[in-house]
Amino acid sequence: MSLLHIHDPLAAPRPIGIDLGTTNSLVAYVPLLGEATTLLDCDNDPLLPSVVCYRADGATVVGKEAKRLAQDFPQDTIVSVKRFMGRGADDPETKRLGPYRFATSDGPVVKFAVAGDRVVNPIEVSAEILRALKQKAEDELGELGGAVITVPAYFDDAQRQATKDAGRLAGLEVLRLLNEPTAAALAYGLGTKQNGTFAVYDLGGGTFDVTILVLDEGVFQVRSTGGDSQLGGDDMDRALAERFVRAMGFSQGAELPAGHVRIALDAARAVKHALTEQDVVDAEIEVPGSQPLLQRVTRDELDVLIKPLVERTGVACRRALRDAGLSAKDLDGVILVGGSTRVPLVRRYVAELFGREPLTSIDPDQVVAIGAAIQADLLAGQGKNDAVLLLDVLPLSLGIEAMGGVVEKILPRNTAIPASAAQVFTTYADNQTGFVLHVVQGEREMAEACRSLARFTLKGIPPMPAGMARLSVRFDVDADGILKVSAQEETTGIKQEVEVKPSYGLGDAEIERMLLDAYDHADNDVSLRALRQEQVEAERIILATVSAVASDAALLAAGEREAIDAALQALKQAAQGKDHRRIHDLIDQLDRICKPFAGRRMDRSIARALSGRSLHDVERETSHARGIEPHLRPGAES
Amino acid sequence: MSLTQHMSLTQSLGRKSENPSDHLPVAPANAVDENAGVRLTKKAIEMAKQALVKRATPEAALRLGVRGGGCSGVSYAIEFSDKVRERDNLYDFDGLKVVVDPKSLVYLRGAVLDYEVKLMQHGFRFLNPNEKSGCGCGESFTV
Repeated sequence: MSLLHIHDPLAAPRPIGIDLGTTNSLVAYVPLLGEATTLLDCDNDPLLPSVVCYRADGATVVGKEAKRLAQDFPQDTIVSVKRFMGRGADDPETKRLGPYRFATSDGPVVKFAVAGDRVVNPIEVSAEILRALKQKAEDELGELGGAVITVPAYFDDAQRQATKDAGRLAGLEVLRLLNEPTAAALAYGLGTKQNGTFAVYDLGGGTFDVTILVLDEGVFQVRSTGGDSQLGGDDMDRALAERFVRAMGFSQGAELPAGHVRIALDAARAVKHALTEQDVVDAEIEVPGSQPLLQRVTRDELDVLIKPLVERTGVACRRALRDAGLSAKDLDGVILVGGSTRVPLVRRYVAELFGREPLTSIDPDQVVAIGAAIQADLLAGQGKNDAVLLLDVLPLSLGIEAMGGVVEKILPRNTAIPASAAQVFTTYADNQTGFVLHVVQGEREMAEACRSLARFTLKGIPPMPAGMARLSVRFDVDADGILKVSAQEETTGIKQEVEVKPSYGLGDAEIERMLLDAYDHADNDVSLRALRQEQVEAERIILATVSAVASDAALLAAGEREAIDAALQALKQAAQGKDHRRIHDLIDQLDRICKPFAGRRMDRSIARALSGRSLHDVERETSHARGIEPHLRPGAES
Repeated sequence: MSLTQHMSLTQSLGRKSENPSDHLPVAPANAVDENAGVRLTKKAIEMAKQALVKRATPEAALRLGVRGGGCSGVSYAIEFSDKVRERDNLYDFDGLKVVVDPKSLVYLRGAVLDYEVKLMQHGFRFLNPNEKSGCGCGESFTV
């Protein structure tokens, strides 16, 4: 039973904090008087299951009702959509994550085909959850003054952008994205200290995360993160449910009716919850078509069942500490987040692991939302304590791919955001009139090992000798950790406006259009661009190969010409088609076949260079001989 | 499925200095027929006055009403009101001004507004004889 509060029609719009969770989502706010609090539903429950069900009649159901429908309509009910956020359709992880019908599209975004002939993507599904929370908040608070949405500390740019897009699609003014562990620390008021080191242990329904957070001069920094994306309270339920299923008379590995599994899981969850407060629970489980099953479960028995699961969290915790270069005794506090941290064994284990009692006074389900509400309140300028200026850091380095596929880091990881930095690059080849910029994220040295965020081309540079052009590449990361890249050629003053967005995220203009026609154009644009890039690449490599074969036929080994011709023919045909992946594969194939031939040509070029030719000519010739694209190289002054 | 509790850990959490009489309805000073208007409990009057003082508008009124919407039928609304409209019913509870518009009064006739302090939360609550079924959250009801 939620109680009523006096609404002030003259009050300023109220900012809210949202914990957009994998299993459950919550919304909280800071009242004019009193502490931050979560908003409850009709059943006095702050948790809104992060489940969206699309009905055949076109209706969309969110929350508990959707969770019930999930059993009967598993393919039309999207659960744990957060796992799909910012993930590419070709990501091998994607298809393992659920029983869904993935819509075929050659765009990079995952899409679900659901009832009512609808196709939705993870941003739209998340937006439905956010919309339900927004409605709940508006009912209670009236006009809303923006929202802070929390994201896991390990979320990359694409995932953050996707979350922000979902917020905007739901009609929320997203004040900022906030790291979940940082939110938990804020809820405990740790932001008012100046310095400290904290571990945030977050064991939810289906995921485990641990974060080492350092508060340095009032600024929170994520020092390290770790976890297990497939470990949580649901696994504990399954462990206990297995025992019930066996007690129902089903042997291990037997084919089970889905209804029995559901009953056993529900019973397991209820017993687990009861064992938080009690030492022994007697459960009477209704079994369809037979006698009710009586089961007595003691807490010790539960502990034995779940111990292996709990111990798995220890591995990630120790690794996170090691990554942060810390040991448990360096910590100033341990914060528990997530409903599963109510389990007494988990609390004992955490206390033992870190050698101190964890902070538990705030409901672990609500602590992140409460922290987000406090942050929203601060950002909206209503906070009682506006001394806390909260910053986060970049979780991974951001850079661009330079000549030879190496990464030039422009913003190193752990840079406090918002941040910006610029670096100057120059041309590699004479008369190079364009740059291909490849923006990547990660710590590896080679671009191919990093996460590709964006690719774009800067064109229209007048022909000039190699090394003369000066291309200034500028990275700006805003307070939400979202990246903008701009490029400008300095010597000529050519200023080209270039729009860059994370690979799976979307720009402002597209958000607008998305609101009108549900994304389809944006996807086409992206796939079209991928196709064009491959077609251009194919054209270039075909020309280079044909001219190399024509001029240096003498260097071809026996049978080599036939192989090259066959590969050329296949590539030419594919380049007329629309499958950019196939074109790409065939370019690779041609490249492989030509490699020995290109090597011989290069050897000869070098021999020629030794007989008194200019280095420039050699360089140009060798690069053409290998059919590679003149790329970027860092300027000497950068 | 049912659970039998072997050990009950719920202790009665002693409410400090709660006086039961704080939760009895008080009639307004400008007395009307008991069943015709709205009544507040002592506690509700005290808390509303406090809220008005904290808002720095002790002279403003508390507006009680119902609105369409909510989980079932109509929902309660409690607001600060800086002006009293022409057809509002105005009550005086020990110096606290309470206004109810005529349309809302149809639903609130005989209702009592109480203020409850519970373990997890505190706030106002209507005890309304007109309520046929509530939605469970105390915010909306059908008549």
